[in-house]
Order: sequence, then structure tokens, then C-alpha cells
Amino acid sequence: MPSISAAASAPGVPAPRAAALPWYVPAVLVAATCAVVGVIWDISWHRTIGRDTFWTPAHLAIYASGIIAGLSCGWLVLKTTFAGSDAERAAGVRFWGFRGPLGAWLCIWGAMAMIVSAPFDNWWHNAYGLDVKVLSLPHLILALGFTGIQLGAVLMVAALQNRAGGEARYGRLLAYGIGILVLNVAILGFEQIGFSQNAHNALYYLVCAAIFPILLVAGARASSLRWPATTAAVVYVGVTLIMVWVLPLFPATPKLAPVYRPLTHMVPPPFPLLLIVPAVAVDLVMRRFGTGRDWRLSALVGVSFLAVLLVTQWFATIYLISPASESFLFGAQRWNYNSLPGDFEHQFWDIRSDPVTPLKLGFAALLAMTSSRVGLWLGNGLARVQR
Amino acid sequence: MSRAGRLAALAAVVLVASAHIGSPDTYFEGSAGPYRLRVIVRSPGVVPGLAQITVRLLDEGRARTVSVLPVYWDPRTAAPPPPDTARIVSGDSSVYSAALWLMTGGSYSVQVTVAGPAGTGTAIVPVQAIATRRLELQKPLAVGLAAVGAFLFLGMLTIVRAAAREAVLPPGMEPDARRGVIGWVAAGLGGVLLLGAVWGGRGWWNAVDSGFSRQLYHPLASAAAVRLDGGRAVLRFSIVDSAWRQHRVTPLIPDHGHLVHLFLIRDGLDAFAHLHPVFVDSSDFDATLPPLPAGRYRVYADITRESGFAETLSDTITLASPAGAWRMSDPDDAWWMGNGQRATGNVDKLADGSRMTWDRSEAPLVAGQDAPLRFTVAAPGDRPTALEPYMGMAGHLMLTRDDGAVFVHLHPLGTISWAAQQTFLLRGPADTVFGTVGRRLTEMERRGAMTGESVGSTVSFPYAFPRPGKYRLWVQVQRAHRILTAAFDVEVQ
Repeated sequence: MPSISAAASAPGVPAPRAAALPWYVPAVLVAATCAVVGVIWDISWHRTIGRDTFWTPAHLAIYASGIIAGLSCGWLVLKTTFAGSDAERAAGVRFWGFRGPLGAWLCIWGAMAMIVSAPFDNWWHNAYGLDVKVLSLPHLILALGFTGIQLGAVLMVAALQNRAGGEARYGRLLAYGIGILVLNVAILGFEQIGFSQNAHNALYYLVCAAIFPILLVAGARASSLRWPATTAAVVYVGVTLIMVWVLPLFPATPKLAPVYRPLTHMVPPPFPLLLIVPAVAVDLVMRRFGTGRDWRLSALVGVSFLAVLLVTQWFATIYLISPASESFLFGAQRWNYNSLPGDFEHQFWDIRSDPVTPLKLGFAALLAMTSSRVGLWLGNGLARVQR
Repeated sequence: MSRAGRLAALAAVVLVASAHIGSPDTYFEGSAGPYRLRVIVRSPGVVPGLAQITVRLLDEGRARTVSVLPVYWDPRTAAPPPPDTARIVSGDSSVYSAALWLMTGGSYSVQVTVAGPAGTGTAIVPVQAIATRRLELQKPLAVGLAAVGAFLFLGMLTIVRAAAREAVLPPGMEPDARRGVIGWVAAGLGGVLLLGAVWGGRGWWNAVDSGFSRQLYHPLASAAAVRLDGGRAVLRFSIVDSAWRQHRVTPLIPDHGHLVHLFLIRDGLDAFAHLHPVFVDSSDFDATLPPLPAGRYRVYADITRESGFAETLSDTITLASPAGAWRMSDPDDAWWMGNGQRATGNVDKLADGSRMTWDRSEAPLVAGQDAPLRFTVAAPGDRPTALEPYMGMAGHLMLTRDDGAVFVHLHPLGTISWAAQQTFLLRGPADTVFGTVGRRLTEMERRGAMTGESVGSTVSFPYAFPRPGKYRLWVQVQRAHRILTAAFDVEVQ
């Protein structure tokens, strides 16, 4: 791996100086973070208060993601195109006569998708009712928008890292971006894997096997860190825990009937999956087997991920669904205002209708391997991005 | 509802109605303790949705706060959320407005609480949350979305092409012809994938739309048929809906002492009957027909269910020949026959020689605006007279548009069902067994809750016509133990 100084001294390669983090990097990473924080906040809002307007702080946080990313990347491409140095223009890709980093274009695209989703969502509510389902067509467009921003941020950091010869701080920021994406997909899979009560049914492991390896493996392949997948998992767990601990500090009461639980504070998100443990396995396997035989590697890393995840979540959730876990640390006041209290709170769900069987675990392993293989392809691409 | 929302609602295609036909909004006039008020609840047309409630205090300047709270009928409903404080509508200090969040389809009681120097009082207004219309995508919005969609589509293809063509090249290196081809191939593959996604999105949207259309409110399915029984024409009205027959909905409760209020309106609007069939079994009801002329009739049946859900079922019948001798099924039955001409004046002569006058100015009636539905009865010789309650009410007003697109049964209380209002007052948290509240209501009526005192000579009805058109109104009152029916015609702009 070339050293930073060697890369920076290559003729015609405008590698950033170690001391100067480009201004747009924190901007797009903040934008990426705003979206996931906003979505977790919004889910808590709906679970606690029940009703909302466009102007809730949670919504503003989500749309701040689009505004920050759109404005900063819009300014970046305008400046690069019309006032950038030759080196800056050379470090961009062409887009309808303009120039800018590839990730910036994805951020702009994401911001536009988010903006267009707003009037569409308003019409959708008028046509089909207020949010009946989390996953509606306008919400999907919104999610595509902020996911585009998160991917754009990852691409921008990856290009900087690659041009800077693998500088560690870019590696860390890249792993951070991957961690935000992990959080993103975990939120999208909220209904299947959000609650610990799901951790003894097969769908839980099928979903985890499909969505997590692709990101953890891509990050592990692309980031210059020694523990990239673990770092990404720490980001996912860390941001979620912050929300678990911070949200219940805010007083709030339900404003929609029926109120089955007299909530007094915001409901925290469910305790995160302990992804750090399988992510360590991913890093270890990736490091042990290196590059070159990606098909074999994807099989190994996929199976390792699933096996460690299964053991970790299977036993950890036994505590997490128990009354003993209902504390500030793990989330105390954790159920919706409109969920009728019952014994389901301390039971594993769907264990009879969808039990974990060897056949289903085998299918989950296949999914994990496939997800890992796609992750390796993505990671290889990310490791090569220069602009 | 936001302005955009109101505009969207205006552009909606109204498919069906609510408890009435073609008239989804709720009008109520009554008292909240010492405060008289008029309440209008504009239906959002979707569930979950935001209904707009307007409260007009009829005694100005006496209230300090007006709050509103919708409560779902289900007795399992736990502690209600705090009520919303209605805001004074700018320009009129006696009018308050708020949004009602109706999250579940079905019957709600809206508690309107007024607080002021005279104390605090609450009025119960039954409101039904039902999806009644399918919203069309307005052209400007459709064009705008399509344009931005096309921009995003092409933008994504450009990003994909740039990613494959030059993103992996060191800065400054120009892509060669091979990379150019790779870029186009990637864009082509991306285009195929995106088109697939767009196609999938379209399918998803269509599925949501058709699912919503299937869940639009429809009254319980019903059937009306006429047979001859001992020389008399008997109308059998049957509720044939599977949900009803399989007891998946709550049972009927008496409204003004009757489980079913049946209305027959002849095409041409020149014959009208208001009957109260007796039940044969839980689904079938029989009414002996008065001597109505032959012809095709629209049949409407107003029912109220124990949940407080009131609805109007409908069907049509054809009478081949005039119905013969009449032995009324119920003493509250009444009928009317016109002369085939549209009424032009504001005065109609009643069967006992008295006259009913519609107290209105020459100002035209406008759809969506408060209609002055106030009527005064004078005895022969223009002598003042007193009306008696007819089924517990000072009067009943039925109105229909020429084409049958609107049919409404009004009382001085407004469009609400009196029985529905009572269920919310009578129901306790433990009333989870079907029939409990209905029995309590029947017992209450038997004890005489429906009998009233003399009600003066004037009767009025709070209402606004839902849409323009030609309407006929039948106003029914009781005087000297006799049910009297007057008819008026009006064109609403």
C-alpha cells in the first residue's frame, strides 16, 4: 500500500493535505447522520405521541439531510465547474457539462429525490389516508433519497481515502459512513429485526443475513482500517444507544386514541442488535483470507457472520425480552402508547409459525454468502474509486 | 386540513356517501351545558384522516375555551388523549375550529366541551370515519412529478455512466474508448434496472389504489321487494349483507323508537312515504304500503347500529299498480303525493288546512354554505298554532336531489342520529357484549324519554347542501295528533 506522502507527491494527483479535511466531508457525513437520527426520532414520535405535522423536529432532521447535502454538494459542483482549479476539476466526473466528485452527484440526486417525495407524500396522505404503513411509495422515494446521500458520502470519502493512499482518518470516516448505512438498513428492517422478541424466529436471521453482510463486507474490503466492519458496527450500535438513552429524556404524552399506556416520555428505539460481535468475525475472516479468492471468501465470511450472529442474538435476546432488562440502560418505557399491554412483551414471537430450522438456517447461510459476495464486489469498487 | 388538502378534497371524485347519501359532512345543533352551539364536521374522505370541526357558539361572547376530543366507540378504548383546544377563526370570535384525528374506520363520539363564565358543558356529536372517495391525481401535480421523475431517471443513468466510465480513473486521466463503452453498457444496464423499478413502483401504486378502492365505504347490502298480502301491498326490506347475517357488525338499535326508517321516493319526486316497518326476523322488515301511485321508487332505509354507526341502505322497487287499501304498520307512518308540478313558492298547504312557510329571503342557496332551513306552521286563518313532537322531534326533513345523488334525513339536531348520540352516553366500559346498550336504549325509550312537550310553531334544521342542483324537501311535523307533510323545491347554486 503506498504511503500518504508517496501518493500526495504523485504528479497531477491532487491528494488532500493531511491537515486539511475538505469542508464538504463533514457536511455530507452530518447529512447522512441527520437522516437516520431523524428517522429513529420520527418512529419514536409516532410510537409516543401518535400524530404529527410536517414541521416536527424529527421531520426537520430528515429533511435537513437533504438540504445540507443538496446545498453543500450543489455548491461544490458549481465551484468545481466554474471556479475550481485544474486539479479539482480533474478529480471530478462529468455530468451534463458540470464537474464534481461522483459522490457529490449522488448526494444531489438524493436531495432532489427527498424534495420530490414531500408533495407526493402529501398527496398520498390525502388520497389513501395518513401514514397507515411505514413503507409507502413516497416514503420509499424519501428513503432512496437519503440512502443516496449516505452512499454519496461514502463514495466521496472512499475517493479521498484512495487518493490519499489509505489515510487512516478517511478509513475511519469511510467505516463511519458504512455504519450509518448499516443503521439505515436496520431501520428499514425494523418490523422484522427491530424487536428482540423476533430473535427466535427464522425470518429474523434471513433478513439479517441478507442486509448486513453486504455492507459490513463492502466496508471491510474498502476501508483502510484494521477493524473496519467492527468500526461500522460500533457506529450502528453507538448511534442507536445514544438514541435509546437520549430520547426518553424528552417529556411527551400521547395525543391520539386509544391510549393504552400513559406514556410520559419519548419511547426509545429497541436495543440494537449486538452486531459488533459478528462484525469482529467478519474482520478476522477478511484479514485471515485476504484478497484474491473472493468466492471462497464470501462463503466463509457469510457463514461466519451468520453463525456468530445466531449465537450472539439468540442468547442476548433472552435477557433483552425479560422484565429485568426494562431499565434506562436497555430501554424502560419501550412500547407504543396504543399497544395493549400483554404477555407478548416477554415472549419470543412467531416461534411456532416460523421456527428456526436447519433448512431455514441453510437458506439464511446462502443469503449471507450471496450478500457477502455482493459486498465484496461493492467493496472492490469502493476501493478503486478515485473521484 | 391544509389548503392543499382542501383543494385535493375538492378535486376528489365522490363515490359514495356516509350515513346519508351524497352528504358526508356532519351537522349538529344543540347544547353543551348552558351554551348553545352549532357544529360542522367536514369529512376527510379517507381513514386515517383529519376531519375539520367548526364550532359556532350561538350565544356570543360567553365562552372562554372550546375543546374537542374524538373518542372511538369501542368500549375497550382506554384513557383518551387530552382534548384539543379549538382556535378562534379569524374575523369571527364566536366560531372555533380544530382538526380531528380519526385514525380508525367506524363510529366516533366527538366531545365538544365549552367552558366559560356559566360553567362547563359538553355536547356529544356522533361522527363516522369512513373512506368515501378516491382522489384523482391532479394534472399539475402529475406533470410536475413526471418531470422531476424523468430528471431523476436521467440523472441516475448519468451517475451510473460516470461511475463506470471515469470514477475509477486517477484524476486527470481521460477515459479511453473502452471505458466509454463500459460507461454506456453500465448506463444501459442501469436503465433496464431503473425501468424495472419504475414498473414495479407503478404496480405497487396500482395495488395500493385498488386496495383502497375496495375498502371504500359501502352501506350494508339490502334488497326491497313488494308482494300482495290479502289485497294489501307489503314491502319487505331485507338486509342481505354477509357481514350482517354473520353478526360481524353490531346489532340495530331503535332511533326515535324504530329500528328502521324507510323512505320511498317515486321517480319524478311526486310521491313520498315515510314508513316504519316491523321486523319479521333480524334481517327482514315488513311495511304495508300506503296507496302510492304505480311507478319506480327509490327506497332508502335509515338504520343505526349499536356502535353508533348510522347509515342509509338503498334499493329500488317498481309498483305495477297503485297500492290498495292501507292499514298502516305503525302509527308514525305517513305519506304524501304531489301534483307533478315543481313547487315555486315558500308556502305549502298542509292536509289539515294549515300552512307551512319556509322562512327564507330571496337570496339564493349556495352549496357548502349554511342553508336557512327554518319553517313555520300556521293554523287555518293564519292563527298561531303549536306543533307536537313527531317521534320525539319537532320535525323531520327529508331532502333529495333530482337525480338521487343526495338523500338526507334531518332533524333539528342536524344530520346526526339521535340514537347514536345516546349510545355514547349510555355505554359503559364494561359493555362489551352486543345488544347490551341497545336493550338499555329501548328501555329508556319505553320509559318515555322520546315523548316531548309542545314545540312551538317553528322548526329549523342545521345543514348546508353538499352540491349544486335541484332539490325537493319534505318537511314533516305533527299537529293535533296528525302527521303533516309539506314539500318545497329549491335550486342550489
